[in-house]
Amino acid sequence: MSSIREKGYHHWEGQFLDKPRIFWPITRTGIKLAFGRKHFKLGYTFSFLPAMTYAVIVYISERLEDFKFIAQGGDKLLQVNPNFFKSYLTLDLLYFAILILMSIGGAGLLADDFRHKAVQLYFARPLTKADYLLGKAGVVIFFVGTLTLVPAILLYILKLLFAGSFAFFLEYPWLILSILAFSLFMILFFTAFILLASSLSNNRNYVISIIFGFYFFSEILRGIFFVIFRSPFSALFSIAANLKQVAAGFFQVKPPYDYPWYLSFLLISVFCFLSYLVVKHKVRGVEVIK
Amino acid sequence: MTAVIEARNLSRWYGNVLGISDLNLEINQGITALLGPNGAGKSTFMKILTGQLKTNIGEARIFGEKVWNNRHIFRRLGFCPEDDAFYEDLSGFEFLAGLLSLYGFSHAECNQRARQALELVELTDVADRKVRSYSRGMRQRIKIAQAIAHDPEVLILDEPLNGLDPLSKRRIIKLIKEFKNSGKTIVVSSHILPEVEALTSEIILIHQGKIIARGDIYFIRDLIDTHPHMIRVKSPHFRQLAQTLAGEDYLLKIAFEPSEQAVVFETHDRDRFFNRLNEIVLTSSLVIDEITSPDDNLQAVFDYLVGK
Amino acid sequence: MKPETQRVFSFYFFLKKKSPRSRMFFLLSSASILLALIIRFYRLAGQWTESGQIIFQNILMVFFLQFLIVILALFYGTSIVSEEVEGKTLPYLSSRPLSRASIIIGKYLSSLAVTSIMLISTLLISYFILNLDREFQLQDIWTVVRYALVLLLGLAAYLSFFTFLSTWLARPILLGLAFGFGWENVIQYFPGTTQKLSIVHYLKSLLPQYSSASGRLSFLFIRLEPTPDWLSVLILVLITVVFLVLAALLFSFKEYLIQD
Repeated sequence: MSSIREKGYHHWEGQFLDKPRIFWPITRTGIKLAFGRKHFKLGYTFSFLPAMTYAVIVYISERLEDFKFIAQGGDKLLQVNPNFFKSYLTLDLLYFAILILMSIGGAGLLADDFRHKAVQLYFARPLTKADYLLGKAGVVIFFVGTLTLVPAILLYILKLLFAGSFAFFLEYPWLILSILAFSLFMILFFTAFILLASSLSNNRNYVISIIFGFYFFSEILRGIFFVIFRSPFSALFSIAANLKQVAAGFFQVKPPYDYPWYLSFLLISVFCFLSYLVVKHKVRGVEVIK
Repeated sequence: MTAVIEARNLSRWYGNVLGISDLNLEINQGITALLGPNGAGKSTFMKILTGQLKTNIGEARIFGEKVWNNRHIFRRLGFCPEDDAFYEDLSGFEFLAGLLSLYGFSHAECNQRARQALELVELTDVADRKVRSYSRGMRQRIKIAQAIAHDPEVLILDEPLNGLDPLSKRRIIKLIKEFKNSGKTIVVSSHILPEVEALTSEIILIHQGKIIARGDIYFIRDLIDTHPHMIRVKSPHFRQLAQTLAGEDYLLKIAFEPSEQAVVFETHDRDRFFNRLNEIVLTSSLVIDEITSPDDNLQAVFDYLVGK
Repeated sequence: MKPETQRVFSFYFFLKKKSPRSRMFFLLSSASILLALIIRFYRLAGQWTESGQIIFQNILMVFFLQFLIVILALFYGTSIVSEEVEGKTLPYLSSRPLSRASIIIGKYLSSLAVTSIMLISTLLISYFILNLDREFQLQDIWTVVRYALVLLLGLAAYLSFFTFLSTWLARPILLGLAFGFGWENVIQYFPGTTQKLSIVHYLKSLLPQYSSASGRLSFLFIRLEPTPDWLSVLILVLITVVFLVLAALLFSFKEYLIQD
């Protein structure tokens, strides 16, 4: 086979190595681009406020005697137990912060590639669709993980450190697994949600409308169906409510709605699977013009 | 008599980056080409002429009237932007007719003009297809069509031959020349000298926001010819080739690249050099793998003109 | 309408009608019809004794008022300038014999027309699904007309505000979201004059105040200190006009750099 003579280009004489983490450059670039967006760094910093507040609560919980004068009657609130971690990971403010950040830094993950016809450039490289999607998912995983899993683990460690003993661990030996499992579940959901929204359009504004529209629409539906049917199952329409229900299951606390938590788990899992199918279908190396 | 397009002390910058600097020029009827490498300021000048950008200093006038926020001028002006951007949900015909409706033409006149424009750019067959399904060349042609559909007196064409195949290029060049013959004023920008050569002999050279030369195309060609050219030849017989050509009077310098098996010739007469090279290849057993011209581009000319 | 504005309106109305996104938003608006059907069947099954008027006002109007008109106005309003800049189609407009003000007003009116069609058609259908029965009276038609006018006023006001944001900011949607779903939702629960700092307060003031016989739905009107009708209409019209004028002025004098 004759070699291709290219004007002005230099052939690389080395060997192509089989890199296992071929998705990493995509993730790394996505994270860098997100941080480069206006207001993202500010938003990201402020998103840690709930975690910092909870860290203060962990501290106070170990020094209740010293803070009795401001914590009157607050003993119950300041208890660090599975419900404490569950409440952090199901804060509405945290979900809102994640959505805002992902609107700034994640809405364009697939939408921008579609707009600028860059998908073909990716697949002109030795990259599979799985690598590409994993790379993009990695961006969402990074940001959601640093706002959920990492602070939750740090809060757990802080509790052990401030307590000065492993009593907390012995009291709830499964808690760290619950934190891990639920955080990962939440990360999976948000990754599927953001990538699905981003795959539905090449217009970033439209994607942001989809993200928030879907979220608020789900809340409104829950409210409307609850008023009509007065049934706890109306919570199945709401994203936040489903996550809270699943969290209750993972953390073995009383669920906020009177139905089995695994129904919400199943619903979110099906949603994630369907999102994956849609995203996989939408991402094509060749643009199909109808 | 005032020129059709006038620019007086025109300057425009983007933050700290200079777009154009103290541009003074007059453009009359006929085809004028703005020639310059990427980032020279051609598009900036065209955007000022078409009311997209304001000037920081100076002013631009068309038919004696200021351009910025003066919508009446745009009845007589047609603009073909460089960007490949459309209302993708529309068909080619709808795109043209819709933009024509913004001029205030009646529905019937819009349709008629749209059809005429489509015929001129040879897109009648695909008029009812969505623009998103058009090839690169079709998209470029529909852009030109929207600039000419309302029969303007002035045409501003930003890189109109981008993305066109050689046949389409010839057709568009012919069309532009027909417009010129009907008395229109056309300003065309490009960074490709042969394209400009085919269109006009009136050229303005722009570099780093300034006009560095204005004149006849042959003047530019002479500059290129007097400026020494480098030609790199890769061959297993590079030394023999050099030996054969060493005696030629149009050769100024020969340099070897032994590791690449190549030799670089510097000459001030490319035509004679290539004629001789062809003779050698045809009459001898010398094999040539590759011929490149490291400086055969406009940038080299500009570098020469600005004294690099 | 000035001929220029009319030309822009006609072109963009045609464009938006064809847009797949408009179909998606129409589908979203149709969720109200589905809800109305569900409620109607539930009532037919004897599960609920509340009247159709109360249910419509307190349930479906929440959907229309606090979600649909906001999301429609948000998307269409914030796209008015940004879609031309990001899509690089602004030169097609700026090199036409159109005043910049007429471009903004024409696009605004076309967005208002398209969203109004989505809104009113689904409003009417869902209203009649819930209320067309033996107890239906002619005056109920006036009620639905009133709802329609209130929602149209709200849509016009929100759209005008988001259009202004679009001319002012490069990325208006996030501020728009913060206003539409943040500020508007939170501020109305504040007592006194603070709640008057929102568009939704004046819209709610214009709605008929149905009291819920069963008391189940009264919580939705908590803390509303309604403004008189005439004042509410005036303020909404003022908001619409002021932000539209500001948008037109800003667009006339600002230049928009298209990123290469």
